[in-house]
Order: sequence, then structure tokens, then C-alpha cells
Amino acid sequence: MKKKNIELIETENSLPISLKIDKFFSKPVYRKSLDAITLIFFILVIIGPIINIFSTIFLNIPAIKNDVFNDDLIGNLQWKNILRSLGYSFSIAGIAVGIDIVIALPISIILARYNFRGKNILDALVDLPMAVPTSALGFSVLLFWGIFGIEPGFSLIIFGHVVFTFPYIVRNMKIVLEKVDTLYEDAARTLGAPGLTVFRTITLPMMKEGIIAGGILAFTRSLGETGATIILSGLVETAPIMIVGFRRQLELPSASLLAGILISISLILLFSIKILTRKTGFPIKSVWPRIERIFSHKYFRFFRDVMALSILFVIILVPAFYITTQIIGEDFVEELFLGQDYKWAYLYVSFINSIQIGALAVVINLIFGIPFAFIITKRKWGKVITFLDIILDIPIAIPSAALGFATFMFWGPIGLGVFQSGFYMILFVHIAFTFPYMVRPIIGVLESSNKGVEEAARTLGASNLTVFRRITLPNIKQGIIAGCIMVFTRSLGETGATIVVMGNIRTVPVLIVDWVESNAFPSAVFASVIVIVFSAILIFALRTVTKNGGS
Amino acid sequence: MPSIELVNVTKTFNDGKVLAVDNISLKIDDGDYVFLLGPTGCGKTTTLRMIAGLENPTKGKVLIGGKDVEGIPPEDRDMGFIFQHFEIFDHLTVWENVTFGLEMRGYNDDYIIEEAEKALNKVGLLDYVDEYPSIFGNPGLQKLGIARAIATGAKILIMDEPLGSLDPKVSKVFRHELRNLIKDLGLTAIHVTHNQEEALAIADKIIIMRSGQILQMGTPYELYENPNSIFVANFLGETNFLQGFVLKLLEDNKMNIWIRLGGPKIECINFNNKFNLDDNIVISFRYEDVYLFPLDYDFEGSPYDWTNMQNFRADLEASRFIGATKRFYLKLDNGDRFLSIKPGNFEESFTIGEEIIVGIHLNDIHVFKTPENLFNELSLT
Repeated sequence: MKKKNIELIETENSLPISLKIDKFFSKPVYRKSLDAITLIFFILVIIGPIINIFSTIFLNIPAIKNDVFNDDLIGNLQWKNILRSLGYSFSIAGIAVGIDIVIALPISIILARYNFRGKNILDALVDLPMAVPTSALGFSVLLFWGIFGIEPGFSLIIFGHVVFTFPYIVRNMKIVLEKVDTLYEDAARTLGAPGLTVFRTITLPMMKEGIIAGGILAFTRSLGETGATIILSGLVETAPIMIVGFRRQLELPSASLLAGILISISLILLFSIKILTRKTGFPIKSVWPRIERIFSHKYFRFFRDVMALSILFVIILVPAFYITTQIIGEDFVEELFLGQDYKWAYLYVSFINSIQIGALAVVINLIFGIPFAFIITKRKWGKVITFLDIILDIPIAIPSAALGFATFMFWGPIGLGVFQSGFYMILFVHIAFTFPYMVRPIIGVLESSNKGVEEAARTLGASNLTVFRRITLPNIKQGIIAGCIMVFTRSLGETGATIVVMGNIRTVPVLIVDWVESNAFPSAVFASVIVIVFSAILIFALRTVTKNGGS
Repeated sequence: MPSIELVNVTKTFNDGKVLAVDNISLKIDDGDYVFLLGPTGCGKTTTLRMIAGLENPTKGKVLIGGKDVEGIPPEDRDMGFIFQHFEIFDHLTVWENVTFGLEMRGYNDDYIIEEAEKALNKVGLLDYVDEYPSIFGNPGLQKLGIARAIATGAKILIMDEPLGSLDPKVSKVFRHELRNLIKDLGLTAIHVTHNQEEALAIADKIIIMRSGQILQMGTPYELYENPNSIFVANFLGETNFLQGFVLKLLEDNKMNIWIRLGGPKIECINFNNKFNLDDNIVISFRYEDVYLFPLDYDFEGSPYDWTNMQNFRADLEASRFIGATKRFYLKLDNGDRFLSIKPGNFEESFTIGEEIIVGIHLNDIHVFKTPENLFNELSLT
């Protein structure tokens, strides 16, 4: 590039210090350095562990053969167990998502299209399970269905998974449904299509993306869930639980193999669904006007709404928050505060740990997440950006226990030896699996934000960094705050990844699992209710922030 | 001396797959108000953005005040930029919007206040300094955009469809205010638009672009009266086109042409091109240049001088009253159609279906060689 040969305006020297600093660091070399540091972070924290797990499998083929396929005592029993656990995991996720979609369709219509008193409250209630630690939800589900004598096992796991995956589906459906222009539906109705036919042939295809996006998210969350599953599983071992088990018994080759398989399958699912969705025709094209007209009648619609709401309450909302009723009359005071084992102290310390880890994960993801979102939205690197954009979702797609184990193998004593199990290792894992939750909302606001104002600011004489500070940042604030809250709640609620790397450190969700397993129910109830209330506050904050962002 | 010069500038996008600007050169003198006019996608906005530094040329040079500005970022080019969609900072007040550029230049507070007040006063927004821009409609937003751009004291003003987001009626009034403001401040201004009427009304000079190239430059009058291509003739004003061929070459660049399929024979002057006998040609003439006479009109006895008037017969198919003007739809024997436009109070009352005499002045007829794809030349893109 040629040397500048136009005189800068004479007043250059009188610039205030902050603008001078902006101008200095707006040089391309600093931008490139920041891009490089961000990408290195991304590779080390998220991609590195995953690649490492595959190389670990490769390097340990003899050990894996010995342990899994050819054990002296049990032969290939281990392999059979692994296959069975995978079968459980996938069928649970599939069934849970199926149930979710059936309930979510009418509910999303109610939330997106109807206006009634208390709609906001219902909307918040539906969102809430997303923010609450799954172990607390699982425990609540256990207590609720326990009334009807349902024992831990396959069906109870499904009940639990439906509860915490439901918000992901209903949220996505609701968002696309709100975006669908009702004029298309009006047009179809003026052409003589009854309501049901309009929904099936016009609205549903337009919602396709949202349903699939929600479905993927819910499926992967179910597939990777550990906390609630441990509580609800009884003798059933899903794949993430098996990883936790292997890790506890230090059967590292087996754990690597299973983690590798889980990661591979999740990645294949992620990519194939992303490609397939563009091609699938969604609805059945033929119509049955007479029958559909009958079912479009307002009595049927009323019936449908009542049914949907009843199921929503019975299957999801009441089981999720049943536990809050249990705090009354429980003698947790004696067990928690007066017991010899100082349970309250454990709870206090775990709570502090949870908050510290969540807060630090937020800060670090903020530092690297904003530049990463800028790379995805602003850099013109062509295919590289497409690639980064896809692999950004990997931490969402793969089970957190597997990611946790991969991180343990990469950074832990066996790998690079940088960290021992414990606080910092937990923090590292949490940073890894929450990273997309920070970046995605920021990408969202950046893409929808108006690039014209940034150009306007530059033509007015603002350097790149000044534009970022003064113009871009205020405009994307909501996305950043939303990302922070998402990261914090996900970190707060995580069990599986934490268990794998925690050493002696406890977080609240793990503590709840511990206490449920050791039958300290009253204390577990108390801890659960605390985190539920805490999460409810966070969700309220998130909703306030995103609502203001919409205006 | 803020003159602007582009030398052989080319801009491609998507690794050369899209050619936005194709080797153009132009010069804009100090104090000129120049329009870049052309259909959507002709490269006019890209040209503008390269001048402002928001895009870098793939090839060629941009000179400002005679100096190459390659590598100088937009913030250091000291130009005002006005955007079609205003790009007002919503999160800042009117005052903060206007002082933004001054602040970036590091001026002291007294000077900032003085200049910002001057700029706001010029656009009539001084009463709204503490408001947020959301109280404004589009005209208010654009006024604020203008105040923000001129407050910095930049001597070059760059405008990308500045009136494009305004209601047509508002924009017609506003454009004169805009021109007065620019002339008052003595700015060198470039104005991009696809609205030919806007360009004709307020430009010092117009540059017509199409498909990344410059077709013609000149004053509005020059371009309107002497278009150098079918596209320019069509793009500026309302124009009739008829096809025919050269029948006979006469002296003084004159020639006789015959409208196709047994249409009328017309004499015209060749302004632009060399023609040979039997060349296929297209003639163009403006709607407003078509005179209408009843069949029994007495040309000899008329008080007007009708020499050099080319007369031929046509059927009047329809007439439409549109307030200020009246439009007459005419058809030749060969089936070709054209229009004439008259003031709304035009008295001559013809009956529909009647045969009448059409007259066009020799100098109002332009002749072009028939291009390979006439349809393409006549499309406004």
C-alpha cells in the first residue's frame, strides 16, 4: 500500500486522548492481531479438545480393544453396553422431541397469535425450564411423578427430557410464527382454504426452519443431558451417564471411545440436518377440503387449545415446578442447618462456585465472543467464514459430558497437563460449551443492525474503534446482554460437563445430584428451589432486555 | 481546491465475478454540483463509495484536490456524506448527531457549538437539539443528515440518493433547498440518483452511467437536447422511437429516411454518426416536440413559420387528460405508435379515430444506428 500523501486535517494533534487511542489501535495490524488471537482461542478451547479426543482414540486402539472388545473376563460386554446406552440416548431424544413438537405447535400458535390476559406470564413460564438447572428440574419431575408411583427408568427420563427441551422448541416456533406475514394466510383464506388447510399448506412450510432449528437444539440438549438423567434414570444408562461412569472409574480408553462416538454422531446429525432441511418438502401437499373444513370449526379449535394447554400444564409446567410446593413443611432446616455434616456450608460454597464460574465464563466469552461475532459477520473470507459459522455450533451439538471429557483429556494431566481437575478445569469446559450461546445472539444483532450508520460515522471522521465504541456497541448492546445471560444460565445449569472435570469442587447442580443420590431429599429440595428462583430472576431479566431490544 | 478526479477506475466484487464499475474516468471541478445518473445497478453508488473511501478501487486512481488518496480511510478524507436512508444515530440526540463529526476532528467546545448551531440553523432544526431523532419523519431525518454532514466544514459533499426516501412531492420542493444550501456553502457536490427529473432540475452537470460505464457527460441542457445514444435519449425525458432506414443522403449532414413498413418519409439532420445508404436507423423525438394539426390546417396562411417542419399523417387513437398535461396516442399506417404531449388547457379538439397531421421540427429529430438488440437499449436498466 502506498504511503499516505494527503495532509490530515490540521487539528489532528488536538484530538482527545480517547480518540487518539482509538485511532492508533484502528490500524489494520491490530485488527488482524485481534482476529488471530480470537481464532487461536477458538481453536484451543473448542476445536482442540475435540480433535484431541479422536487422536487419543487412535493412539489408544490397543487399550480400547482390550477394555471394550476383548476383555479377559467380560469379552465385548463393554461394547454391548456402549451400544445399548447409545440406543437409549437416541430413542429418548427422539421421543422427547416428538412429544415436544406435538405440544409446541398449538402452544406456539397460542403464544404468537392470540391476545389474552396473562399471556406474558404463560410465555415466561414456558421459557423458564430453559434457565433452571436440569438437575433441579429432574428432581422436581421425580417427586411429582413419584406421587403416581412412577419409578425412575426409561419413561421417567422421557418425562424429564420433555420438560427441559420443550422451551427450545416452542421458542423457535414462536419466533418464526411471529415473523410469518399473516397476509399470506389471509390470501389463502380468500381463495377458499379453511383454517386448518391454511395452517398445513401455508403457515407450516414457512415455519419449517424454526421447527427444525428448535428440533435440533432440543435433540442435542436431550442427547447430552446428564444432571436430570442421573436422577431419573434408575438402572438405565444413557451415553453421557456412561461417560461420567467411565470417568469416575478412570476407564479412560472406554470413555474416549464413547465420547468420540457421541461427538461424531452429533456432528454428522448437525451437518446432515443443516443440509437436508433445505431440500425437504414439509407438508403433505394434497388437501381434503371437506374434512379439513369440519376440523377448522371454532369448536375444534377451542378443543385443541384447551387440550394443548392442559397437556402443557400436566406434562411440563406442573412437574417442572412441583418442587416449589415441597419446600413448605419439609424439615430441611434440621438436615441442612443442624446436621453434623454442615450441608449448608457445602451449599453455600457450591453456590459461590457456580456463580463465580458462570461470571468468569461470561467475561471470557465476552472478550472473545464479540471479536468472533465480528469475524463471522464482517470479514470477507468467503468459505472460511461459512466453515467457522458451522463449527461454531459444535459445542451446542455435542453432549457436554463428551466435550467435558475431551477438555479433560486435552488440558488435563493426561494431555497438555496445564490444569488439574477442579475449578479452572470446570471454568474451561464451561467457556467451551457456552461460547456459541454468547456469539450467536451477537451475530444476530450484528446482522440485523444497520451497517449504514457505521459508514456514516466513518465519513464523519470516526476511526474504526471509535465507530465500534460510540455507534456499534450501543446498537448491539441487547444482543450482548442476552448472550451474557444465556451463557450464565447455561453455565449455572450444567451437570454433565462439570462432573467429568470437577475433582473435589462442587457446583449447585452437581450438589443436587449428590444429595438426591444420597437420599438427602429435604436439602436437595431447598437447593433446587433456590436455583429455580435465581433462574426465574435471570429469565425475567433476559426477557426484559430482549423486549426492549425489539422496540 | 477540492476537485475530484477518477482515472481509469475499475471495481469488481466477488473475486472479479461482478464488474460494478468498468474503467471510468471523470473530473469534477471545484464548486460544481454534479449528478451521477443511471438505472439501479449501473455502478453509480459504487463510484461514489470509492470517492468517499468506503470501497477501494480494484484498478485505477482516485485523486482529490489533485492528490492520490489510495489507502486513506474514509475518516481521513474530510468529506460530508449524505445517505439515502439517512443513517442517523438513533441512540444519540439531534445535537449529539450534529456534533459527532466536529468532535472527531478534535475542535474545541466553543467552535463545536458555533458550527453545530450554524448547521442546524441552516436546515431549520435548531429548536430540536435535545430531542432524539425518532421524533422526525423522513424529511426531518434527512435535514438532520444534511446538518450532520455539513457541520464538519468539509468542502466536498457526497450524496447517495439523498431525496430517494422522501415522498415525491416533498422531494420536489426539497431539492431546490438542497441546491441553494450547497451553492451558499460553495461546496463541491456529487449527487447520485436514478431520478432523471431531479438531475435535470438542479444539476450543474450530469454524468449518465450504465452497466458500470459512463455514457455521456454534460450540462442538463446539452444532454437533453443532444443525447449521444438511444439509452440516454430514452432515459432523460419522455421520448418516441421509430425504426426505419436511410433513403437518401443530402448535403449539410441532412438525409432522407423512410420509416419501416411503408411509414412516412422524413428528412433529418445527422448529429452524431456517419450513415450510409440503406443503413437501418432509429429516430427519436420528444413527446413535447410533436405538433398536431387538423387535416385542413392552412400552413401557408399561418402566422407561424413552419419551415423545416416534418409533416406526416397519423391516426389519433386516444387522448388522456392528466391535469397539467394532455397526452395524445397516435398510430401510423404501418402500425407503429407514438405520443404527443400538450398542456392541459390545449384547445384543439380532435375526435378519436380521426386522421390528423403530425409535425416535428427537423432539429428535434435524432438519428441513431439500429443497435443489435434494440429492446435491450430501450430498457431502462
